[in-house]
Amino acid sequence: MNLNLQAALDAVIQHPLFFVGLTLGVYQLAVAAYEKTRWIILQPLLISMAVLISVLLALDIEYADYKQGTQLLTMILGPATVALAVPLYLNVRRVRQVLWPTLITLFVGGLFATILGVALAWLFGAETMILKTIAPKSVTSPIAMLVAEEMGGSASLAAVFVMLTGILGAMFGVELLRVLRITHPAAQGMALGVIAHGIGTARALQESEEAGAFAALAMSMMGVLTAVLMPLTVALIT
Amino acid sequence: MLLRGLSWLVAFQLAGTALNVLFFPVIPGPIIGLVLLFIYLMLRGRVDAPLNEAAASLLRYLPLLLVPPAIGVMAHMADIQADFWAITGALIISLVVSMVFLGWLMQMLINRQARNKGKL
Repeated sequence: MNLNLQAALDAVIQHPLFFVGLTLGVYQLAVAAYEKTRWIILQPLLISMAVLISVLLALDIEYADYKQGTQLLTMILGPATVALAVPLYLNVRRVRQVLWPTLITLFVGGLFATILGVALAWLFGAETMILKTIAPKSVTSPIAMLVAEEMGGSASLAAVFVMLTGILGAMFGVELLRVLRITHPAAQGMALGVIAHGIGTARALQESEEAGAFAALAMSMMGVLTAVLMPLTVALIT
Repeated sequence: MLLRGLSWLVAFQLAGTALNVLFFPVIPGPIIGLVLLFIYLMLRGRVDAPLNEAAASLLRYLPLLLVPPAIGVMAHMADIQADFWAITGALIISLVVSMVFLGWLMQMLINRQARNKGKL
């Protein structure tokens, strides 16, 4: 019997669902690895990226083909981004007593963090595309990617910066704040949420329920404020 | 239930896209949809069960949905290499400084609010 293995393999790779299947499989492995180890550095998104890029390079597949083949997933990203309004609303309701300190910290601190990041990158001689991509580094990935692309940066690179910032913030943030005697749960939560978005929020929840609530609120508000104000500011300047 | 919630999310996304073309070309459609939904929830005063269910289901898989666009980083390896130290330096220094600043600011403001309330 002469089975045509090559033809079968080609048929599988060329099937419209091949890249969706590949992505689903790799992502689930990455989630399993994270849940088993609980290492902050094993963020499922980051690990999936590393594995999938290696697979695509090994199989000599162009990004354009992969992108085309995963439209099914990308299409749901819009409604999922809209869905971020629900946790934002629930979190705003939870921290009403200290709304003013929260809002002031968000505006002043968020602006400071954003400007400092861009200014440092500029000072160190990074090119314009990188500056536009690094600007939303403290924002949750779906928003950062949209905003970076809108301003002429790179969505995918923004995802990498966001992940690195989140991982570093979550790994060392609480300890850093504790050394400097910043121990109020709301203050810890705000710092983690504004700077380290979702990954920081998960870390804040390990500290206390209160820190987690503030981190979740800070993350959602930082995301929305950046998404609305950053492109507008850039459009006004240029 | 889930389907009804999903329909709402899609409707808000489409409304966002329309407003993006009409009035706010610099703000991405899904972001406008997000803001619209937030305003709607503020006015309504609660989150209905179908919407909550749909939002929670989608948000659970958000990192998965971000994988395909993030793979595009393949095309940027040269950019990262060219600015590697500028990127690393900017990310780490701004992270440390702004985290400390944010934590300090929030703690100071909360303590001040507590003191002011004590005076009244």
